Amino acid sequence: MSSFSPHDDPGRRFAVIAESLYLANLLIAPGFAFLGLLWLWRRADVRALPLARQHLRQTLIASLWAGAMLGGLSAGILLIGGFTSMWSWFAVILYFIVFHSTLVLCGMVGLSRAISGQPYRFPLIGPGDPA
Amino acid sequence: MQYSSQAVAKPYFVAAIGLFVGQIIFGLIMGLQYVIGDFLFPAIPFNVARMVHTNLLIVWLLFGFMGAAYYLVPEESETELWSPKLAIVLFWVFLAAGVLTVIGYLAVPYATLAKLTGNDLLETMGREFLEQPLPTKLGIVVVALAFLFNITMTVLKGRKTVISSVLLLGLWGLAIFFLFAFYNPVNVVLDKMFWWYVVHLWVEGVWELILGAMLAFVLIKITGVDREVIEKWLYVIITLTLVTGLLGTGHHYFWIGTPEYWQWIGSVFSALEPIPFFALTVFAFNMVNRRRREHPNKAATLWALGTGVMSFLGAGVWGFLHTLAPVNYYTHGSQITAAHGHMAFYGAYVMVNLTMISYAMPLLRGRQANSEKSQVLEMWSFWLMTVSMVFITLFLTAAGILQIWLQRIASDPQPFMVVQDQVALFYWMREWSGVIFLAGLLAYLASFFVGGKPAEARAS
Repeated sequence: MSSFSPHDDPGRRFAVIAESLYLANLLIAPGFAFLGLLWLWRRADVRALPLARQHLRQTLIASLWAGAMLGGLSAGILLIGGFTSMWSWFAVILYFIVFHSTLVLCGMVGLSRAISGQPYRFPLIGPGDPA
Repeated sequence: MQYSSQAVAKPYFVAAIGLFVGQIIFGLIMGLQYVIGDFLFPAIPFNVARMVHTNLLIVWLLFGFMGAAYYLVPEESETELWSPKLAIVLFWVFLAAGVLTVIGYLAVPYATLAKLTGNDLLETMGREFLEQPLPTKLGIVVVALAFLFNITMTVLKGRKTVISSVLLLGLWGLAIFFLFAFYNPVNVVLDKMFWWYVVHLWVEGVWELILGAMLAFVLIKITGVDREVIEKWLYVIITLTLVTGLLGTGHHYFWIGTPEYWQWIGSVFSALEPIPFFALTVFAFNMVNRRRREHPNKAATLWALGTGVMSFLGAGVWGFLHTLAPVNYYTHGSQITAAHGHMAFYGAYVMVNLTMISYAMPLLRGRQANSEKSQVLEMWSFWLMTVSMVFITLFLTAAGILQIWLQRIASDPQPFMVVQDQVALFYWMREWSGVIFLAGLLAYLASFFVGGKPAEARAS
């Protein structure tokens, strides 16, 4: 982690953008904000900045997990349980609130770390740093 | 403690914690009455237990806010309190009024209490959260005005900071909006509209300013981050609060007889209400990340971070959950509301008061921080109370979802009391979570009595 400097301003700026896009993908612009993350990832100049690269990698992979677990599992419960079943909605609503809130909270911690110029790894779903 | 007059905060904090214990005991009584309807009947009927539970909450939070102001303002203003004696007199007046009111609730039927206390002179009783008899309401106004006079005079004679200004704005707003408790129009729609001027504009308006100021003060002290940085965040948070919260009142005007445009105004502005809580959380974490010192009071830091997270979840997420008019059409007045109320009050106002108490009490007792042992117990109390509140909220949410379906969505809707029986399992689980919450609160109390060598600061 010694390669991250809190004074790495361009890296910090892109790290903040990456975390913001991750949160926007969860909160206000699902899909579109993820496309923004992908576009940022494709930029070699951004990936060259260690702090930006670290946050981008984390947020991209966390977003993929979020999509799969929020969309996939919720749809799975409704498809298996049926759209007219009380228990399907009971399970989906509770599951969605808990999991979605947890992902948003992780993003908020990530954003505060990015603002401070520090790296952040999402608990459980965040990839480890490459050797 | 830099100024001797800050010591007047101590009795306020002690009274706040004592009343908090009372609030939780009545919450547990009421929680049991949900599943054992005759429990303690007729000594403590459900409506009385509920009234005591909610009124004690409001009173102890007010004690906490006043104690916080008495602690914070002299330090911010760099001067002694204008009149410490007045603060002590007001403490006893407010405590006596609060205790007598609760005794009144418990000793005589509510209708008799109304007759005995002159409600026929000016009808103000009988409305949720504003059940206090007329003399108590008048007492609250007198205490609030004298308190504000004391605090304002202190600020005027000393240094003016953003934190003390925001705190004053919040406290003055609190007193002004309480005046609507005296306005009780005969038209029930108007009655409800103005009732929300007190209830909503307190908790989703001016109280948030008090919260922001208290949190900013503690964060400056424990992190050592520049005041300018924290003040900028505070400006942003209070702007977001007022922009979203004032018109967000509209989410209470659905289905009560007000014009339909409130459905749009209420939905749009209250959908934005999580934003200040979002900013508050990022603010708290960001300040702790950028800290310039390792403050020995780890417990206060934990409470400060917890306030951000839990207020975002309780007020932000659980508020948004049922704030859009098309959703609220089904969820209005269900257990979803109770779930939101519990976590929002705990996350925002209980936790910010405990943050302040956790930071200030060791200093009021002559040390920078409590011993490691005491702090470990306090941190246990944090986790016990916070995790059990998460479960209370989840069980109430689960009960709410089933209630809405069975009562309002199913092709063969069932009556309210029949549905209540069907969700009893969740009420039992909520009650057990409440018992754990009480255990956490008792651990919190015990942490004040754990001795040992005070923890010391170390360089960052």
